[in-house]
Amino acid sequence: MATQDDDNVARIPDPDVEPTASELAHARRFAELVDKTLSGRTPPAMSADDRALLEVATVIRAAHGSLELAPSQQRAVVEDALRQAISTPASAGRGQVTSIAEGRSRLRRRAPWIVAGTSTLVAAAAIALLWLRVPGPGDAARGNPVARGAEVPQEWISRSADALVGPIARDHAGDAGARIDAIFADRLDGFRTRRLARGGKR
Amino acid sequence: MASEPATTVPLELEQEQRLIEEAQQGHLDAMRPILERYAAPLYGTVILPRLGDAASAEEVLRDTLATAVEKIRRFTWQGKSIYPWLRQIAINKVYDLHRQSKRSRRLADAMVHEIAVESDPASHADAQLIADQERRAHRDRIDVTLQQLQARYRSAIELRLIQELSREDCARRLGVTIGTFDVLLFRAVRAFRKHFGERAELPRTGDT
Repeated sequence: MATQDDDNVARIPDPDVEPTASELAHARRFAELVDKTLSGRTPPAMSADDRALLEVATVIRAAHGSLELAPSQQRAVVEDALRQAISTPASAGRGQVTSIAEGRSRLRRRAPWIVAGTSTLVAAAAIALLWLRVPGPGDAARGNPVARGAEVPQEWISRSADALVGPIARDHAGDAGARIDAIFADRLDGFRTRRLARGGKR
Repeated sequence: MASEPATTVPLELEQEQRLIEEAQQGHLDAMRPILERYAAPLYGTVILPRLGDAASAEEVLRDTLATAVEKIRRFTWQGKSIYPWLRQIAINKVYDLHRQSKRSRRLADAMVHEIAVESDPASHADAQLIADQERRAHRDRIDVTLQQLQARYRSAIELRLIQELSREDCARRLGVTIGTFDVLLFRAVRAFRKHFGERAELPRTGDT
């Protein structure tokens, strides 16, 4: 990705040209960044242009040997790198290490097969389950309480209340409460019968 | 863990070969002296000059060393140091980082060019020689680019970035105010960057 500075880099004025206010501000900001970088406090956040320029400054310094990895940093990096790749069991000596890198590598190689195998097993199990649950001729009746009507007592199933209420005359249209009471009493009676038939058990 | 700076630990080729063979047999911890020996030259002459960012360079170094340990079984001893192999891993990591982060186009282009030129498979020099050559090559490139800058820009870079004088001292040496010196350094680094990138865009010779 080209930065803004990449596009402007061809337009660098001579040293004696007066800076614009914006260039002056940018120059001061960059000077402060260099200050911080030289004292080992490079800010993590900065504009892409500033970062690009600071990288150039660091490249110059690195080429002249101004930047070395401190021994403590170096040891830490080596330890981190080794820790990434190997782990030392508590019971083992320093020379006897178990490679988690090998394990990771093996796992990485096998991962696609493991995923594919697991998916296949799950799919096979799902198909088997579906096959086992395919409704047979009697299943429709078992799953449908209305269809089961022939096998169970009348009061156990959903049924029309027409027989209880009968045709509603226009002048009795407002007696819905009485009709509901009648239906409720009938259904409660059926419920009690069923409950008693089971000896009071649910 | 070594208590002395790793660069002071001598590591002869025979010892290096023995450690590598141990590591290849599964004792990966045998890689420790090798990593301690080569971490500094990898950081100072291979990674940092190509990245320009100390924090990223440290990350790349860590990643390089970890990859080396993980892939040590693939390394074939050819009677010379493992350093060129480590260096190539580091260069690949740097290149990947440049591509992933889409850093400065010019700087990245310069690095790609440099990789091709320096990855000469015919080189059989030992680790120290390679590191010294690489350090000199970097410095030469920087110096050649500096020579292309106007004198005041060159002075600004030399005083501030190479000699690491304070802004006040730099301004005093150049006879300007601190604000003017800031502008000089800012323009100088931009000019350097321009010329550094242009150099990389020259036709390549000798690389494949």
